Amino acid sequence: MKKTNLLILLIFVTSLTRATDNKFSQAMIKNIELVYQATTSEEFQHAVNVFDRIASAEKTRWEPYYYSSYGNMMMALRENDASKKGKYLDLALEAVQKAKALKPDESEIFVMEGFVYMISLTVDPATRAQQFSGMAFDSYHKALTLNPENPRALALMAQLEFGTAQFFKTSTTEACNTNSQALEKFSSQKNDNPIAPVWGKNVAEEMKTRCLPSPQKEK
Amino acid sequence: MKHFLSVFILLFPLCSFSQAHLQGTVKDGTGQPLSGVNVFIKDSYDGTSSAKDGTFHFSSDEKGMRSVVATSVGYKAIEQPVELTGKEIELKIVLLEEVNQLDAVVISAGSFTAGEDKRRTLLKPLDIATTAGATADIAGALNTLPGTQKVGESGRLFVRGGDGTETRTFIDGMVVLNAYGPAAPNTPSRGRFLPFMFKGTSFSTGGYSAEYGQALSSALVLNSKDKAEINQADIGLLSVGGDVAHTQVWGGGSWSGKLQYTNLRPYNHVISQRVDWKNPMASFEGSSAFRQQIGKGMVKVYGNFSQTDFSLYHHDILNPASRQLYDISNRYRYGNISYKTVLNATWDIRSGFSYSYNQNKISIEGLPAEETEKGTHTKWVLSHSFSDNTEWHFGSELINRTYFASRFNDTTQQIISKSFTEAIAAGFTEAEFILGSRIAAKLGSRYEYNSLNGKSSIDPRLSIAYKPGKTGQFAFAYGLFRQSAKNQFLRINSQLSEERAEHFILNYQIITDHKTFRIEAYYKKYLDLVKYVNNNPFSLNNTGSGYAQGIELFWRDNQTIRNADYWVSYSYLDTQRDYLYYPFAAVPTFASAHNFSVVYKHYVRALQSQIGLTYSYASGRTYYNPNLGSDQFQTQRTPSYQDLSLNISYLPKSWLIIYASCTNLLHRNNIFGYQYSAQPNTNGEYVSQAIRQPANHFVFLGVFITFSKNKNVNQLPNL
Repeated sequence: MKKTNLLILLIFVTSLTRATDNKFSQAMIKNIELVYQATTSEEFQHAVNVFDRIASAEKTRWEPYYYSSYGNMMMALRENDASKKGKYLDLALEAVQKAKALKPDESEIFVMEGFVYMISLTVDPATRAQQFSGMAFDSYHKALTLNPENPRALALMAQLEFGTAQFFKTSTTEACNTNSQALEKFSSQKNDNPIAPVWGKNVAEEMKTRCLPSPQKEK
Repeated sequence: MKHFLSVFILLFPLCSFSQAHLQGTVKDGTGQPLSGVNVFIKDSYDGTSSAKDGTFHFSSDEKGMRSVVATSVGYKAIEQPVELTGKEIELKIVLLEEVNQLDAVVISAGSFTAGEDKRRTLLKPLDIATTAGATADIAGALNTLPGTQKVGESGRLFVRGGDGTETRTFIDGMVVLNAYGPAAPNTPSRGRFLPFMFKGTSFSTGGYSAEYGQALSSALVLNSKDKAEINQADIGLLSVGGDVAHTQVWGGGSWSGKLQYTNLRPYNHVISQRVDWKNPMASFEGSSAFRQQIGKGMVKVYGNFSQTDFSLYHHDILNPASRQLYDISNRYRYGNISYKTVLNATWDIRSGFSYSYNQNKISIEGLPAEETEKGTHTKWVLSHSFSDNTEWHFGSELINRTYFASRFNDTTQQIISKSFTEAIAAGFTEAEFILGSRIAAKLGSRYEYNSLNGKSSIDPRLSIAYKPGKTGQFAFAYGLFRQSAKNQFLRINSQLSEERAEHFILNYQIITDHKTFRIEAYYKKYLDLVKYVNNNPFSLNNTGSGYAQGIELFWRDNQTIRNADYWVSYSYLDTQRDYLYYPFAAVPTFASAHNFSVVYKHYVRALQSQIGLTYSYASGRTYYNPNLGSDQFQTQRTPSYQDLSLNISYLPKSWLIIYASCTNLLHRNNIFGYQYSAQPNTNGEYVSQAIRQPANHFVFLGVFITFSKNKNVNQLPNL
């Protein structure tokens, strides 16, 4: 009798955790869709708010912080006011750091970190470009060490290489090669995890158009 | 068992039927509705974003005493307890605007801050490195700011009628003795510390905090960089020498070291000098910085050593064919260690120790002389924040220094020496308030006890800032400052009181994202200056006095002209002092009434280069022609000083920088003053000799190479 009691209790407890797990996944899946489909700052803010709430309830999951960071980045990219842009970037970095504290060896988190540095650079390129491009490079590098197959790490690395090559008027071949690798990984990537990041393909595709027409034009 | 299950079966529907409903509005401090605010029950999924009209409503399965949190970008988050009982809950939430660093009212009178932290600063570290004419010297770049006077033969910072010793340098809050390298007479000296070491520079031309003492006119506060981020090795090839540097980074810390060798001999061969060098200046210098995160704080250790040697011939004015050999050997060591950490939510502590050692061994025609100064500085500062708007700092420090000078007396054939040891114990306290969002005030005082003269003192400090609108701000500062008499006087009379200055500053500034305008007026009163009794340089007292007053303007704009950044400074100075050998109050030789400079930097994409131009003007400086009566003391004026300098930084590859600079493109023969022969010549006249630049132009070429696994890294952030 006691044994059955315990067994039932166990089943009950596991089903309870599965229920919260389900609650988490469902909330995440629904909201990830929202953040990917968002176009206005209001919509991004709405999605970020949901992720922040999930993060406050799920103290062991890095994903809500990751997507909160992503949403803030999207708002930062759309913002023209320098001080507001800075605020979104600060929040994005804060969320990345919280995610990193929960899972220090996650490739995707390093991609996001590099992304924040790369965009922070544009706030004040004259003084920040050198330092922040170095920091972004290091983050992407770390992301690729952890997972050489990460298409987002490759795509953003390609962006950084492209920008640097343009600035120094050197060949963009290397950047375009990195970008092709990224595109390859995007198409071969299969993902069973519904809450794993999938964004970034359009970034690589947009860059492909910049790479394709003028392979000979480079000096 | 059955009971167990049935309890659950009974409980579940109960739960779902007793959902709590929360609704209400979110408004800002002025009553305007706020949208997009995240309103939710802490540690749960339940919540929502407020709508356009600030309203929100959501339901929750949570029960009992919980907290509702509301957060929004740019506003202070709030948390308030609610009891979830199943009844409807109505909430009226008011979010207050976070005081934005950019829009906050800040104490501004008298100070220029440069840093990477704030997005809007007047000068950034890179600006210092790329200012033409400054050749990456901190003092050189700050000399383009209002409040400074051009004193071309010195290279030091002369602020508001003060001489070069009245500006004190601090690194991470710690005193630096002898912050400038040695130089031949009437040639400019360079600061010993390169701008790349610092993430922030605060240059105060008056009215500074009670934390900083022993500076009559100005405090130059340099904050060293935190932990380095990237491993790299650097090589610099310069027209006057070369350097190598390495930076190693690990998890919680970093280490960097630099060795530099400078030798002016080849350079002096190419560009002729007015100085008759025997052995042109050669120096070997090393520096090292170590950073380690310990707990929540950061330990910073910095060390620097240098050895500089040169010798030159001095020619007598009356008899230019005669020459006297001066041989100078300078040894310098500086080290400091500082630690800063958070003790808890409202307290933090800074503490540090520094050591300076400077020795000049001089030989004049083989006769030896020596001058040595050693000093230590120990300090701690505690800070406590009572609230977001009230902060309190207090601390104490001990500055200990020993001075020794000796010289061989030709007539007595003996070495005579003089020395003294001075200890200054100080305590300081300062409170900072922000009243509303418009007024900030800082109130402090500083106590000092000086062991040499046995006197103690208390000096008040006060600053107030008032920001009536979004951009413009008025500020006022007042303070009493003191500094021990110069070593050359203390060694004669160690009982001399400290010299004092009283500052009154009024300032107005408008800062927007890309433009800065600032106007500042001041009055400074000098008290207790050292004075010769009956014109006898060996009998000194503190009866000297003086004043300085002026108006200064600053304008910077990096928006109007594409890819360009420029700033314009103008300073008007009216000063007189009656001190030392002066027969009456007169304008000192280092003061010029009008100083004007324009710094222009343009990034040319096609050339991948940044081009910088700096124009400086200083009206004529006073001097005394001893052939005239003493009533004509300091009435003569030199011609004006003008300089146009150019620099180019070229980045052909991301890891390579080529740098070139040249001063005095206008090819002017600038005269800083006149020296007169010690005795009259056979016609009974004192013969004059102009003090001029050591060469018409200073040309500098450098190639900087960086090795790193990241090829995007170069030395630009370090330059």
